[in-house]
Amino acid sequence: MDSEDDMHDANDSADDDFYSGGEAGLAASDDGDADYDFADHDSDDSAELLSHRQQQNYSILSEDDIKQRQEDDINRVSTVLSISKSEACVLLRNYNWSVSKVHDEWFADEERVRKAVGLPEKCIEMPDDREVTCGICFESCPHGSMSAAACGHPFCSTCWRGYISTAINDGPGCLMLRCPDPSCAAAVGQDMINSLADDEDKEKYGRYLRRSYIEDNRKTKWCPAPGCEYAVEFVMGSGSYDVNCNCSYGFCWNCTEEAHRPVDCATVSKWILKNSAESENMNWILANSKPCPKCKRPIEKNQGCMHITCTPPCKFEFCWLCLGPWSEHGERTGGFYACNRYESARQEGAYDESERRREMAKNSLERYTHYYERWAANQSSRQKALGDLQSLQNDKLEKLSDIQSQPESQLKFIIEAWLQIVECRRVLKWTYAYGFYLPEHEHAKRQFFEYLQGEAESGLERLHQCAEKELQTYLEAESPSKDFNDFRTKLAGLTSVTRNYFENLVRALETGLNDVGPSTSHGTCSKSATSKSLGGKSKSSKNRASNTSTKSGGPSRGMDDSNIWTCDQCTFANPKSARACQACDRPHR
Amino acid sequence: MAGTASQASLLLQKQLRDLAKNPVDGFSAGLVDDSNVFEWQVTIIGPPDTLYDGGYFNAIMTFPQNYPNSPPSVRFTSEMWHPNVYPDGRVCISILHPPGEDPNGYELASERWTPVHTVESIVLSIISMLSSPNDESPANIEAAKDWREKRDEFKKKVRQCVRKSQEMF
Repeated sequence: MDSEDDMHDANDSADDDFYSGGEAGLAASDDGDADYDFADHDSDDSAELLSHRQQQNYSILSEDDIKQRQEDDINRVSTVLSISKSEACVLLRNYNWSVSKVHDEWFADEERVRKAVGLPEKCIEMPDDREVTCGICFESCPHGSMSAAACGHPFCSTCWRGYISTAINDGPGCLMLRCPDPSCAAAVGQDMINSLADDEDKEKYGRYLRRSYIEDNRKTKWCPAPGCEYAVEFVMGSGSYDVNCNCSYGFCWNCTEEAHRPVDCATVSKWILKNSAESENMNWILANSKPCPKCKRPIEKNQGCMHITCTPPCKFEFCWLCLGPWSEHGERTGGFYACNRYESARQEGAYDESERRREMAKNSLERYTHYYERWAANQSSRQKALGDLQSLQNDKLEKLSDIQSQPESQLKFIIEAWLQIVECRRVLKWTYAYGFYLPEHEHAKRQFFEYLQGEAESGLERLHQCAEKELQTYLEAESPSKDFNDFRTKLAGLTSVTRNYFENLVRALETGLNDVGPSTSHGTCSKSATSKSLGGKSKSSKNRASNTSTKSGGPSRGMDDSNIWTCDQCTFANPKSARACQACDRPHR
Repeated sequence: MAGTASQASLLLQKQLRDLAKNPVDGFSAGLVDDSNVFEWQVTIIGPPDTLYDGGYFNAIMTFPQNYPNSPPSVRFTSEMWHPNVYPDGRVCISILHPPGEDPNGYELASERWTPVHTVESIVLSIISMLSSPNDESPANIEAAKDWREKRDEFKKKVRQCVRKSQEMF
């Protein structure tokens, strides 16, 4: 037993080394496409990028990587337990591809495991006669054309093929295939599939096996992007859940929604549910209709007089204003079309309750609409930006390089600007979900949040405008423009400024806006280490935060406050104590 | 798929021959129409010492083209009152479920359809179903309720079915 354990350990460590080596290699090659290489304005950036690389806590697996890993796991179990590869595969499949779980269970009670997964210890040979009767078609066949699983129940190859093919075409359940004999539980492994099924079925089986390896394994998931064939292995523990797949889709490991940093998964799922749920319909009905006083069906009044007749079968006639029966609206009430009972009833407080509910529903609907519109607008804007980026990379950049006589390598700043726009639209979009759920009574937080959001948004708008509209003029020019270099400086500047704004926003939201409000914990610095995809410098934003937030919060520009000076290059509002602009490093004059 | 269809018809013809040569106690079987080997008419004799004792229940077994890889369906044409028989006569037992229905293998292997099953083993399963109804997942909820709570009512209805089947026979 000792020697076996030793072998197990040695094997483990060797494989672990192999994996960690493999991951480093993968991660390094990913960064080129997946992580945005922002313009290096100062030397910090490269160091920052390097630290991202070390932090990356996931690896992207291609189909070949998956095959390789699965193969390695199967080999490992097969060597350690001295069983065939096919048996090792059945075992792993039963224990969700966890090598350590298989080892634990096997060494705890081998007999029980064998029984549970259908791997009899001793293979039973088929009857030794020259002719054997198939248990399915009852034909007698020569011994050589019969096969059996480890249990020795003989069936002819035609029947086996039909049995296996039916199972494979029924779906992934074929991975748990057992001997056709109802009283027998022996597993039918990949070796039998490979020797009996036709090529198409073998291929399908292999696909199910790989899918199972990713889907049943706790450490791996498929990239949720449509049509993407990469899988992701995630190392639980520190850091953010954001994963950037090689297909360029960014998603959250934890909830597999699209990446939503800095907003947490719970908020995102609440928001998505709200967007799809009927609750808003209900709110609309409450706000814009009144229930018929008799049958309680909601009625929307879209025109005409106050004399309402409910639709059949109810046909109740009532006054829209007081909801009283129309029969009482004689002269006594001051004429048919001037219901003065409304005012008097209101004064008595008779309608306060339902009136207030309607009012609240209306407010909440408006509030939701506000956030939803902005969330959705940024979503579609991001989609558009992705398309623009694509067309830029496909042909426009080449065209621009011809017109402006610039090598394409010198036009990288445009791509960077667009990558920044795409990322910022994503962040901005989710901050609206965040804003919707930010408690209304937390005034300081709300003001601070709206201030940061406003800053970030206006920065992004300038960047987007510049990248979209101004670029167009250079694309349409006949000959090289003189001011192209100015454009370069401007766009690169806006890119870096916007990045800083968003970094501040992300950091503030991730610390729960703790710079203001009751719990003033200064966790900003430690947390900022995780801000990955936005890159760039991270100067302390604490001073600025607490200063600005106590003043008028909103996104208003040019806050001529004695505590603040506005940078005349990027208009960032800096605390008085700062000697250089915290966003663009321009010295304060 | 001509190959599998002819395998199915060969296998069914063989079973028909075997059953004619060596009849099994408790039921008789034949084809509905001699030119179609995929549709069988079976008469099940109500098992002795059960409520169904003395009845002659007719049923039709319809086999798929890819038999024996998929199970046949069985429908009683005689009136039947049983928790595991739908009101329209279809029989609901686990061995007749297509193999794909339970991809996770929660049902025991011995309870699912496998190609080893024959007309004989299916009918024997139905006979055993008649003697011990499974009210856990009933096909006929009313019958299951009667079976559980109003056994006398249940017996009465079954006796009616038995009498009717004798008259028809």
